[in-house]
Amino acid sequence: MRKMSLVFALAGTALAVPACSNDPGPATGGDDGSGSGSGSGDEWDQALGQREYDYNAALKIAALRLTGDLPTMTEINEIGGAADLATKKSLYNARITDYMSRPSYAKQMLAFWRDTFKLGETAEFDTAPALAAQLSVQNGAYTSLFTANAGNCPTFNPADGTFTPAECGNGGPVAGVLTNPGVMKQFYSNFGFRRVRWIQEVFDCTKFPAEISATPTDVGGVSPYTGVWPFNSIASPTNGGGRVNFQDVSAVICANCHTTINHIAPLIANYDIDGKFQTKISVPTPLDGSPPAALSDYLPAGETTAWRFGTPAADIAGLGAAMAADPAVATCGVARMWNWALGKTDIVDTLQEVPADTIATQVTAFQTGGFKLKDLIYAVYTSDDFVKF
Amino acid sequence: MKNFLILGLLGVGLGACTEDLSKPADDTTPPAGATSGDQTTTFDHDNSGISPWDLIDRLEKEGPPKYTSHVHSCPKVRVATLGNVLTSLGVNIGNATALSAGDLYRSGGNALGAANFANRIRENIGVSTSGASREFDIFAAAADEIIANVGTLERCKDAGGNPATLFDTSDACLPTGITCLLGVPASVAHLDFCNLTIQNASDHATGKRIAVAAMLAAAYTCE
Repeated sequence: MRKMSLVFALAGTALAVPACSNDPGPATGGDDGSGSGSGSGDEWDQALGQREYDYNAALKIAALRLTGDLPTMTEINEIGGAADLATKKSLYNARITDYMSRPSYAKQMLAFWRDTFKLGETAEFDTAPALAAQLSVQNGAYTSLFTANAGNCPTFNPADGTFTPAECGNGGPVAGVLTNPGVMKQFYSNFGFRRVRWIQEVFDCTKFPAEISATPTDVGGVSPYTGVWPFNSIASPTNGGGRVNFQDVSAVICANCHTTINHIAPLIANYDIDGKFQTKISVPTPLDGSPPAALSDYLPAGETTAWRFGTPAADIAGLGAAMAADPAVATCGVARMWNWALGKTDIVDTLQEVPADTIATQVTAFQTGGFKLKDLIYAVYTSDDFVKF
Repeated sequence: MKNFLILGLLGVGLGACTEDLSKPADDTTPPAGATSGDQTTTFDHDNSGISPWDLIDRLEKEGPPKYTSHVHSCPKVRVATLGNVLTSLGVNIGNATALSAGDLYRSGGNALGAANFANRIRENIGVSTSGASREFDIFAAAADEIIANVGTLERCKDAGGNPATLFDTSDACLPTGITCLLGVPASVAHLDFCNLTIQNASDHATGKRIAVAAMLAAAYTCE
């Protein structure tokens, strides 16, 4: 009886949740990232419309995020004493450009990417954040994080905020941070699945499952299979001789996530526990004795590696190219920068979602402008949403 | 099985709530703990995430993403940034004296939510009880140092080279000093709060310490 009460209580909660925001209709706020609102629409649109420009408040936040320190009295006074809003905006934008040219900006970007990548603070683990920070400082392309084929392990000099390109030296192919030895070592695990999860969450901004079909399939489990890949595209003891049953349906539907995961993991499974590339798969399995994984554990014969269903990737360079071409990856990059600027916690860990409408302007500019990171950061820090309170 | 269904129901509800509420949920992530292993099922792998109760609480308090994504949140000041702020306010963060501001800062990494990259944990930028408490302790300990040093801070000199001043000879608060502390122009409300704090304290020296610490706490609870 007590359990039944719990069922009703939680089900009631689940049903009540959609009503929690009192959202009676479509938003009427602008889709330019300004969020200026028109004063019409629901209570949230009205709240957005009531915000006012405050360039001094924005300057303080921007200074703390972009330089790691407070604005000077001169910087505060020049904006505070400006005669009108247009002048304040002009002075503010110029100061953002100034902040982003300082060595301290490079240090802040390194810190941002360490947090984003969840690794760093030692020479061994800092090279991936350093590459991303270098791109952020030098206005490099975000896509280089997946495609750069040289100088992928730069060192950073905090004294002057400069980067010195260097090769990673861990052997094998070279594709941005996807082949970074620090990443491979930090996220080493059974089957290399932790590396796949890192790629998915950092660059696609969602947990698995990553691919969801509109037409779920009954596979004899407690719930339907919702993946887009054929159910038999991954291995199990009865499907290609895999030693782990990725087609298990007795608890959860493993294939919902593993159809995607198993098509990516073999691409990065040749990196060993130290992040060095080997000529054979060098990650263990969770079987007795931890034997090394084999390709047949992931995929049945005839299946090939891929970034997504319909987007094959024969090797890591192919994986990087596919990610660079994926609009969802670019959108994720913009969303992460947006959340950083606006002080949000991690977009995946704490579900700080950014609706597409909110960053549509920045995403379009990012995609059409060559995925330039510094341009993106400037655009975010000078957006109406950043300077309105 | 029953528990799984309960969590599933809850998960569907959450998915609907975090997105545009007029759209159906498309999140089929298994509920936290559903991929834990046991004697009869598959291998253990963690899929834990944000607590659904925390998420519901956040949505109720802050509003839906279509609103919150447009506005600033209240992240704590990063640990490294807090060190820079203290330094730029004249605090010696290398001070080894027990319970000095520098000592509290340097030993406060865990309380302040510093990153633990060895365990794949980024810096926590959420405001936590422990983090805010430690930060306020640091500001309280730093007040005397700040009061003594504001006049010497290059950062707080205006374009004409005039230093900031926190208090006049009658211990009334001055805008330049408050602006230096806060990083934004001092408002009348700031000055009123500062003056009232001093006047209502047991003595002016104590009042000045409390005023400086309290304004810093208010200004830097959020970055």
